[in-house]
Amino acid sequence: MLEHFHVAKEDEVRIMPDALRKTVNELFLKIGFSEQDAWQSTDVLLLSDTRGVDTHGVSNMMRRYISGVAEGFINPTPKWTITRETATTANVDCDRGLGIAVIPQVMKLAIEKARETGIGAITMGNGRHAGMIAYHAMMALPHDMIGYAITAGGQSMPPTFGAEPRLAPNPHAWAVPGDKEPPFVLDISSSSVAANKIELLRRMKSLTIPGIMAEADGTPIMDEREIPPDNIVLPNGATRELGSHKGYGLSAVAQIFAGILSDGAFGPYEGGHMSHFVAAYSIEAFTDVQRFKESMDDFMKYLRETPPAPGHDRVYYAGLPEHEESIDRHERGIPLHHEVVEWFDSATEEFNLTPLER
Amino acid sequence: MLEHFHVPEKDRVMIHHQDLLKTTSDIFEAMGMPYEDAELAADALVTADRRGCETHGVSNMLRAYVQAFSKGNINPTPKWKITRETSAVATIDADKGHGLVICPRAMDIAIEKAKKVGIGAVTIHNSTHAGMMAYHAMRAMPHDMIGYAITGGGAVMVPTYGAEPRVGAVPHAWAVPANKMPPFVLDISSSSVAANKINLLRRTGAPLLPGLLADEDGTPLMEVGPVPDVTRLLPWGSTRDLGSHKGYGMAVIGQVFSGILSAGLFGISNPPGNGSQFVAAFSIDAFRDVADFKNSMDEFLTYLASTPPARGHDRVYYAGLPEHEETEIRDKDGIPLHREVVEWFDTTTDKLKLDRLGRT
Repeated sequence: MLEHFHVAKEDEVRIMPDALRKTVNELFLKIGFSEQDAWQSTDVLLLSDTRGVDTHGVSNMMRRYISGVAEGFINPTPKWTITRETATTANVDCDRGLGIAVIPQVMKLAIEKARETGIGAITMGNGRHAGMIAYHAMMALPHDMIGYAITAGGQSMPPTFGAEPRLAPNPHAWAVPGDKEPPFVLDISSSSVAANKIELLRRMKSLTIPGIMAEADGTPIMDEREIPPDNIVLPNGATRELGSHKGYGLSAVAQIFAGILSDGAFGPYEGGHMSHFVAAYSIEAFTDVQRFKESMDDFMKYLRETPPAPGHDRVYYAGLPEHEESIDRHERGIPLHHEVVEWFDSATEEFNLTPLER
Repeated sequence: MLEHFHVPEKDRVMIHHQDLLKTTSDIFEAMGMPYEDAELAADALVTADRRGCETHGVSNMLRAYVQAFSKGNINPTPKWKITRETSAVATIDADKGHGLVICPRAMDIAIEKAKKVGIGAVTIHNSTHAGMMAYHAMRAMPHDMIGYAITGGGAVMVPTYGAEPRVGAVPHAWAVPANKMPPFVLDISSSSVAANKINLLRRTGAPLLPGLLADEDGTPLMEVGPVPDVTRLLPWGSTRDLGSHKGYGMAVIGQVFSGILSAGLFGISNPPGNGSQFVAAFSIDAFRDVADFKNSMDEFLTYLASTPPARGHDRVYYAGLPEHEETEIRDKDGIPLHREVVEWFDTTTDKLKLDRLGRT
């Protein structure tokens, strides 16, 4: 994540992952999640926070999940069902269950199918927030498979040339195992920035970055200015000349595989309704696993050893910075904004839980 | 495609697509390809021209193919074979066959598998240039399937923050059928522009736009100007702030599914002209009722195309719509070729003792 999205040093409180895990898990139990779902949901949030993906960690998401359950929008005890199935595919009705609880269970089913046939792919409708989708894709890694995950829904982003938001910055994530190198994990929204990074920017009182958002009428903002109250995120690429049709296109592909393929959801479809899609590709089905992993190591090394351009000291591949961040945060704790820690204290007090340990 | 990549009007010769198809197929046959393969390759190539994807049509590609055949870099009569297979997947050694032929055949295998088990996916190595990826993805649509195609590449694009090209501008293409609406067909390179659009820019003399290319040392060129002699392709997004790690990442994942999965090929280890591809077919029926799906697609695509346009624009599109409209126009009015390209056709057919390109 770019430096200016991080919590400012003077505002941060370091919380150890195990302490955060304990409190988050207790909160999920308090709002009615089963033990299994509480553990699973906590695990997804913690992976975001340890990997430095703050936008999808506890800071932005936890309070939303709690209010979502309180408002009856998220079903804390979903009975998700398979509505159609073949040897490689399935269609799942999520019963309004939170994605971070349901999707990992569905990914396990995709992995089973991939073990049998080579590929497993499952589309999911009637779902709720998916969290950091890299988590779901990464579940394939220990099985020597390539994982893929999409989540889609809502409308906050305009099509290229459009004046009105008609789709969302739907993200795609892939996870590919190496042998000794940290895995390749690509998790990209189809907008210039994830929608809730704009919220984060606003909280940090930062200015706009040219090309990441449009005015309310769809005109790309190409200078630095205060973040206007009414704005729309732009597809990645910002303008047609720089390839915004690619971000727009990737968003539509996600909506098709998740929403259209599961139950036809797109655009103004029950606000907050989310659709998902996961797939697992068994490496063994295509080639020798060890050969593949060694090739991945060579490839990833080749990429990170690229001589850097002037002004840069290193070249990365997707997943490498997050891997390094995760090592650091396990040692030094997760930097939360003090305002977030205060929120935790009021929440634990309300639910009669022990406060978040510092 | 953006207007300034098109052939200027004064240099245009309009050629009917049937004439172009015949001569292109004749040339492929003269290169030693069996008749069916020559026809298939010609159809793939001319489909790019019909859809307005000049960069991957006859103008840029056919002379490169003729050269590659004469140097022995493309095998006109490959004995390609499946080296590994399960009910849903296969790996193909293409025996240096033409990518324009191998990819559709591999897609046919994927489609057969998808009919039986829901999904089919094939990774291919030891192949050659595969043309416009959309063609292979679109092959799934008449079977009520979603098609997906990737072609891997060598090292023409810099990684984000990198000073040296280490990945290809690897394109991904998806094709999704609808009911009454023209299909959704997204074919996107992972660079800011397709590599051979730069050649097109040089040929047409159009200026370079900010963010399309990097300097020799990897620094993004962010000002309008002439195309420098030595340039590097930038990942889609141009700079890290604008999301170049997304284009870089799409290039890597494309290389993983094609080159790495099939035979461990990437960057320098991938000999020039050596192609790796990945094709997949997803049977809609394996997920949802086909008619319901197609009706939902119509609604979704209508919803997108009816977005009110932003200031300065008169219409909103979805991927595949402009290409569909362009095909209707070009099938009627002909394909605008640069006269220099038509001259090349005449010289080539004369040399190969073939009928000249028709001008009906």
